[in-house]
Amino acid sequence: MSILIDESTRVVVQGITGSQGRFDTRYCVAYGTDVVAGVTPGRGGQDVEGVPVHNTVKAAVEASGATASVIYVPASGIKDAVLEAVDAGIGIIVALTENVPRHDAAIAVAAARAAGVWLIGFNTNGVISPGKSKLGGIGGNRADELYVPGRVGVCSRSGGMSAELSAALAAGGYGVSTCISMGGDPIVGNDMSEYARQFEADPDTDAMLFYGEPGSGLEQGLARAMRDGEITKPVVALIAGVFQENHPKGLSFGHVAAMIRAEGDSASAKRRLLAEAGARIAHRLGEIPELLDRAPVDRSRHSSP
Amino acid sequence: MRLTEDKVKAWLRENRFPVPEGGAAASPSEASAIAERLGGGVAVKAIVPTGRRGKAGAVRLVDTPEETADAADALIGRTVNGYPVKEVYVEARFPVAAEYYLSFAFGARAPKVVVSRHGGVEIERTFEQDPDSVVTADVDPLADLRPWEAVGLWERAGVEGPVLARLGQLAARLCKAFRDADAVMIECNPVAVDGDGHIGLVGAMMEIDDNALFRHRDWAGEGSGFGAEGRILNERELAVMRANETLPGGALRYTELDGDIGVLMGGGGASLLQHDMVVDFGGRLANHTDFSPAPSIDKPLAVLDAILQNPNTKGLLLSFNYLQLLPCNVLVGALCEALRRYGVDARTFPVVVRVFGPGEDEARVMVEAFPGVRYMPPGTSLDDAVRLVVDLTGEAVDREGAT
Repeated sequence: MSILIDESTRVVVQGITGSQGRFDTRYCVAYGTDVVAGVTPGRGGQDVEGVPVHNTVKAAVEASGATASVIYVPASGIKDAVLEAVDAGIGIIVALTENVPRHDAAIAVAAARAAGVWLIGFNTNGVISPGKSKLGGIGGNRADELYVPGRVGVCSRSGGMSAELSAALAAGGYGVSTCISMGGDPIVGNDMSEYARQFEADPDTDAMLFYGEPGSGLEQGLARAMRDGEITKPVVALIAGVFQENHPKGLSFGHVAAMIRAEGDSASAKRRLLAEAGARIAHRLGEIPELLDRAPVDRSRHSSP
Repeated sequence: MRLTEDKVKAWLRENRFPVPEGGAAASPSEASAIAERLGGGVAVKAIVPTGRRGKAGAVRLVDTPEETADAADALIGRTVNGYPVKEVYVEARFPVAAEYYLSFAFGARAPKVVVSRHGGVEIERTFEQDPDSVVTADVDPLADLRPWEAVGLWERAGVEGPVLARLGQLAARLCKAFRDADAVMIECNPVAVDGDGHIGLVGAMMEIDDNALFRHRDWAGEGSGFGAEGRILNERELAVMRANETLPGGALRYTELDGDIGVLMGGGGASLLQHDMVVDFGGRLANHTDFSPAPSIDKPLAVLDAILQNPNTKGLLLSFNYLQLLPCNVLVGALCEALRRYGVDARTFPVVVRVFGPGEDEARVMVEAFPGVRYMPPGTSLDDAVRLVVDLTGEAVDREGAT
């Protein structure tokens, strides 16, 4: 009933002794996440919230069998932190750091993908499989209230919006199988289409909800996967930032990734592409449940031979 | 941050790339002195961080120091593509025999290199007119562009002869320099070659990653004073920009627009969505903001100062995603401080608050001292808060018009 993480996920926290690492770890442990180790060079042997701290990820993995890592490291050190986790054999990395230097992000993502590692971020607030596990700050101390277990997969370009989307689902009687804040930086580890394929393959996800913004080719990739017939479950999408099209190009709003760069990656172009591929487009949070209520759209036009 | 030509050329020179001699001048006499030193014909170019200067009449080709002074006099003090010209770049003219194009920029996940056998015109035009002459390739972030790979790209773009080896070397070296400088874009157009096969980087533009400035302290501050695409910031926008650079806390943006609803919103996604909804509901924003909440009152207060100083603001929305790090009472504390500071009466100047998370109970008590402030009930959505502020501001503006 989830993708990427569940109750069996064993988590190491890189940068656990920093204030945010400590703060989030407390809520993760309280939520039930199996946090098995922390890493801060020079703090090996200490513990945080009852979690033993090691000097390296390798040592943490050897001691704890950790399979996923959450990284609280400033932008100047995030590239090395990701490379260290990849090197230590971690399978899923949640990189919360935002505004990562572009070249560092490119190197870290290339290394993770080459090793077959799933990288959530950069600029994510985490991932949650409600009732099972959460990695990162997602849900804060109110995860139970904001993320109700259910059968809709959620993938959001914005960390903060993941809570609003899930609350909107809950208000309409729906729940969440897994909710991922995929990262808002220009370079992220995995694409929307890759999350969609995961949800498609998950027997306990019936439909998916995506939140997108101007900039990037993420929605184009998702639309392609839908047109190619790879995605057959209902897709609801909320794409914000249409207002930008009334302002001169280059005027900066929101995430760096939301800078308008070309006609094809504007919010309205994304809405159009996704609608043509069979997605149901929500213009407001309140519309999401009613779009899910409708019978599955006829996709015969789009199915592959 | 886009660098001006003088900075780009100085950087190229430091890294031993072939650049025509030249220098920046802030007055006609300085310009003619540089022309004197260089000897022969020079190009006089307005120093502004934008392309397409030729089209804007901001590049003059002259033959003598006197003409150089005249050209400098004509350009300094002008506005080019929205940027005021304070200096000109005086550069020796390169004896061009052939022109090529070379750039590095970012694709979705990795840098991209673009080469063409046609230089000196915009690459989009070249691509339209002769697509086969333009070759684009991804650069593997884990390996540099090797000289022989670069030779292969130029060859595919239709370049032949002895210049291939030199262009291959140039592209490989520039790729490495692009990464070392933390550039997000470098465009050399044209890459000129003289009759002896020597390369000169005559046109060069470069943009540095703002997020990597911690590694390049010498460039910090080069871009200050300009918004995106050279929009000139007003005093309130400048004040917020300075606050963002100097105060602790999350990243902060503030851009004024021509409507009447002032907003302090966050994070990035909620700002975009709420802005769309304001437009949908028929309202118009006095500003856009985006603020990554961090546990500090300084930055939100800086934005609230700007919003309440903006004479066009007739209503205020303070609305965020569910807060995690920034307690509600801290954020709402900044609001109360600002309302006091500007003597705002929320009974006539609508104030709508949708701030949920830790410290919410205290925050709700705090606003009770300000009659008229609408704190949205628990469980209401971003939609509800936006609808209310649009309605109330509309009513306030109508009331104002009626009196």
